Amino acid sequence: MIQNVIVYFVLPVLSFSMLLIFFRLFKGPSLIDKVIALDLLVIVGIGAFSAYAVYLDKVAIVDISLVLALIAFLSTVAFTFYYSKQQKNL
Amino acid sequence: MVTYIVLFLMITGAVFILIASIGLLKMPDVYMRLSASTIAGTFGVASMLLAVAVHFGSFYVGLHILGVIIFLMLTVPISAHMLGRTAHVIGLKMWEKTLCDDLEGKLDDETLLYDGECIMEDKDPQEPESFTPGNEDDEDDEDDDDE
Repeated sequence: MIQNVIVYFVLPVLSFSMLLIFFRLFKGPSLIDKVIALDLLVIVGIGAFSAYAVYLDKVAIVDISLVLALIAFLSTVAFTFYYSKQQKNL
Repeated sequence: MVTYIVLFLMITGAVFILIASIGLLKMPDVYMRLSASTIAGTFGVASMLLAVAVHFGSFYVGLHILGVIIFLMLTVPISAHMLGRTAHVIGLKMWEKTLCDDLEGKLDDETLLYDGECIMEDKDPQEPESFTPGNEDDEDDEDDDDE
């Protein structure tokens, strides 16, 4: 029952939200919008991996979520830091 | 019973992530998009991770997932704060119906640090009444005089 709900409801909802986020990623007026979209995209990816861990009933997939959270935080902070410095020098 | 708890948590998380992505797509402003996506996305993914912890039922998996949730709730507001600050520094405009901008002209141009009236270097440290609560009244008075 869990696997049916995950396949027919949870993963399609996550895929649809990824589609909306990709629309904002390509449309976004400024570059900050694109970074926000990428950050939310990684967060949705963590959710999709956790749903997939429940679907396959394997614990090892849970480890991916910690790595993804770490990479999302580091990339966002590094990007905003250097982007604000670049804009300051212009 | 465990099955229904897992289903409830996972469906709640998926719906909140969908709300976050709709807010990211439809909000009119950078700052509103940031607010909507950050808050709802964090709550949704925390709910889905709790569903994983309830499903496996092991202590170590629960500890791992608790670490991930605490890490997300610590780091997502930090990155959102840095994004909003950068958006204000590079001069992105707000929505035209936004009422006020509290950070207007309070950042130093060279160091990009907060240069408003809450910095306590120039103040007299022996008068604690004039630090935070009095500044707002002073600002309001100045604005009234200017107008």
